Amino acid sequence: MAVPRLLRAAAPRLYSTVLVPAPATAPAPVATQPSAADDKLLSEPLSHPDFFNVKELFTLKDLFDARVHLGHKKGCRHRFMEPYIFGCRLDQDIIDLEQTMQHLQLALNFTAHIAYRKGIILFISRKRQFCHLVECTARACGEYAHTRYWQGGLLTNAHIQFGAGVRLPDLIVFLSSLNNVFQTHVAVRDAAKMNIPTVGVVDTNCNPSLITYPIPGNDDSPSAVELYCKLFRMTIIRAKDKRRQSEAIEELRRKAEGN
Amino acid sequence: MAARGWSRFAVRVGARQCRAAVPPVRRASGAAPGAAETPPQRREQRPGSGTAGSGPQQVPSEKSESFASMLRRSPLIQMGPAKDKIAIGQIFHIVEDDLYIDFGGKFHCVCKRPEVDGKSWSGSWNTIWTDCGSTTRKYQRGTRVRLRLLDLELTSRFLGAKTDTTLLEADAVLLGLAESKQTKQKE
Repeated sequence: MAVPRLLRAAAPRLYSTVLVPAPATAPAPVATQPSAADDKLLSEPLSHPDFFNVKELFTLKDLFDARVHLGHKKGCRHRFMEPYIFGCRLDQDIIDLEQTMQHLQLALNFTAHIAYRKGIILFISRKRQFCHLVECTARACGEYAHTRYWQGGLLTNAHIQFGAGVRLPDLIVFLSSLNNVFQTHVAVRDAAKMNIPTVGVVDTNCNPSLITYPIPGNDDSPSAVELYCKLFRMTIIRAKDKRRQSEAIEELRRKAEGN
Repeated sequence: MAARGWSRFAVRVGARQCRAAVPPVRRASGAAPGAAETPPQRREQRPGSGTAGSGPQQVPSEKSESFASMLRRSPLIQMGPAKDKIAIGQIFHIVEDDLYIDFGGKFHCVCKRPEVDGKSWSGSWNTIWTDCGSTTRKYQRGTRVRLRLLDLELTSRFLGAKTDTTLLEADAVLLGLAESKQTKQKE
């Protein structure tokens, strides 16, 4: 059931067909052949460790003031979160912000690269308190959000539920990786099944196992979630602007060479 | 001893003297700057606003402060056990009679709106008994209130469960409005 699909230079994920490993079956018009310039456009950011300079978007003080270091009580702690916990004060876990800074930098950098390469980003959060905020954030950066009940096969059964030729997200960002009954969100497992990288804020009661870029941090306080939303929004917009800028420069250079 | 940044936590328990929480000389885990370096600061952080609005009051050497030393100086740690501590919170949401109050902890607390305008501790000018309509006007979104904290997070381990069940809420008793005259002086 090979459905011909447009190939872009960034080679998006091909889903909704039954195990078609060879993109060569799709018709490849000349325009989509990655040229040397396109290659440079895509490979140049990869050579820098922090091409989009996401480190400057946040400081330790910002995280601290937004209460990112506050965790749940000791009894709610997930065993796999122990490496990220600084300590336990009067039964309340405190998350190590030095580690959070590193993880957050990695996660934002990755998000920026995905956005630069025109990937689709899906924000997921099942916290009712922040669902509107998450949806607004997604709309502000031109990406997508899913803050409602997750039907079983949204990722794994997409070609039946949405029809053939659907493009799945290239990155899923969890602003809270739990669902309403304090279990890990199904999308974490499904994204892993579909080879979709995930970025997720994991609190002390979450399981960070399947998440590609976990960010140990508070996911319950409004100030913390607002901070994350702001950081993701700024990163994505910055990456998209950078892409537009690079393409414009390439365009000018091509015109100059053409002349 | 230098008074620590108060933010909203006034450490006052019952009849005990009102005194700043005097931290004993602690050996910090990292190379924390000495206690004498940071001058006494009143951090006017409004509850719920996580941004570094208190920037101008900080010493310039703050930029290299480690997490451990920031934590050690934070009001949450300086407060100690939350039981029976007085805190100032701000109402950020109201659902009929329930007031959702944020006092700077991980979670907010939910308190019932008092039926009558409760008397404040110092018996200030607003102790006139008024009808219920005025409490609706007094407790609005953004009103600062005084709370007696009981627990920072309501959790309990039930039989047969592997982890605690959490209510995602703190527990506090609403004492009344924060004294408006004092808050005016703080501004």
